[in-house]
Amino acid sequence: MTTPATPRISRRRSLPLVWVVPLIALAIGGWMVFREFRHRGPEITIEFKDGKGVEPRKTTLEYQGVTVGTVTDVELKQDLSGVLVRLRLDKNAAALANDGAQFWIVHPEIGFSGVRGLETLFTGARINVRPGKGAVASHFNGLDKAPALEDSGEGRAFELEADRLGSLSPGAPVFYREVKVGVVETSRLNHNATSVLIRIRVQTPYVNLVRINSRFWNAGGVSFKLSLLGAQLKSTSLESLFSGGVAFATPDSGRELAVAAPEGTVFTLHNEADKDWLKWQPRIEITPVEEAPEPPLPRGPLAPLVKR
Amino acid sequence: MTHPAAYLRSRNLSRATALAIAAGVMLVPANILPVVSTRTGGMARTDTIFSGIVGLWDDGMFGIAAIVFVASILIPALKLVGLTWLIIAARRGPTHRRALTRLFTALDFIGRWSMLDVFLVGFLSGLVQFGALATIHPRIGILAFAAAVVLTVLATDAFDSRVLWIEDKDGAREPLNASAA
Repeated sequence: MTTPATPRISRRRSLPLVWVVPLIALAIGGWMVFREFRHRGPEITIEFKDGKGVEPRKTTLEYQGVTVGTVTDVELKQDLSGVLVRLRLDKNAAALANDGAQFWIVHPEIGFSGVRGLETLFTGARINVRPGKGAVASHFNGLDKAPALEDSGEGRAFELEADRLGSLSPGAPVFYREVKVGVVETSRLNHNATSVLIRIRVQTPYVNLVRINSRFWNAGGVSFKLSLLGAQLKSTSLESLFSGGVAFATPDSGRELAVAAPEGTVFTLHNEADKDWLKWQPRIEITPVEEAPEPPLPRGPLAPLVKR
Repeated sequence: MTHPAAYLRSRNLSRATALAIAAGVMLVPANILPVVSTRTGGMARTDTIFSGIVGLWDDGMFGIAAIVFVASILIPALKLVGLTWLIIAARRGPTHRRALTRLFTALDFIGRWSMLDVFLVGFLSGLVQFGALATIHPRIGILAFAAAVVLTVLATDAFDSRVLWIEDKDGAREPLNASAA
């Protein structure tokens, strides 16, 4: 008879399978937290004179119409001179927190040149931003109101020098042959307060219309003439009736056109147009080279009629 | 050689211990992550359990704030603390057997009442879907919370209260029938 083998008794207890559960919980929990905090960007502080409508965790920061951050805290400054708004940016919007960034609170605004921020009637205020180009920063001074106009950087800006501002306001149209080709951006007094400088921006397809010898005049408001022959009421457009407007013309004298005006050229803003200016008909290609590709030459019976 | 009682005890307890630790781990994301986001008329806010309670309190709903606090923070925390206590006591070799058994019964009883939050969020998310006017969405924190509650229930379940009554080699300090009173 053989004796059964002596059982070997292991002193080490094997770890029960159930210990996998806390490990899984740790993995899942860690992933959840990581996922949530991955999107967090830096926190910034903005100083406003007035914090009307800004509420923690409700008011959002928007850029180009997309939410990129949330207000975390609003508090009064210690010297009572304003409010401090603390704001948590999304991670992908961290680049907005650069020196020179401009923040302002959007309230509904209804004016002659348009309705802005109407949705904030229902949603409460929100904060908008125009990014800066400086170094990374975390403390900003907010603007009291929206900057004059969304500076898209497109087109070309010019300065007009006038005796007085008249009825021109930011957003007023710039006309060429009564077609709107740009807008008035800002206005300010010149350095010695002898005239007003008005910055306008002409949109990209039309920048070549402005030549160094172009003439600008005030096309806003209404002109009313009463004579023996009757009354004459004139206004460029309903929009310019309220917000003012600027028109310009480019001379066609001679064969050669003057060179296109570079960015920032200063023109005089005349009070009204000479009769001659309205007759100018220079030929200027307005489609910029980098946009629309050359259309194919028309073929067929109409081809001879097209001058190229 | 390991004593059979000790062996039984350790086997039984490791299940409960593992599940209780898992529940404790899940309570962390459950409390720091948002559980719900509400949007009413374009005004959006996301809330963690705690910020929700503070919000209710600020809105003057003290009663509801208290209920949510008890159901969502106090009870889960107490349950886990109680369970930890039971497990440690049982591992050491129990002394206050009757009191510990009562604690176990109490834990088992309140387990089913801590799903209030999960129920509330699920209920509201299904009900409040008025498009532009108001919508409520569950967020990931509520999953962690549900997992924590379920794991606590499982841990309580895995804890075999008989462990408290296992006779040690050197004999029981309290007779079994003492609890019949």
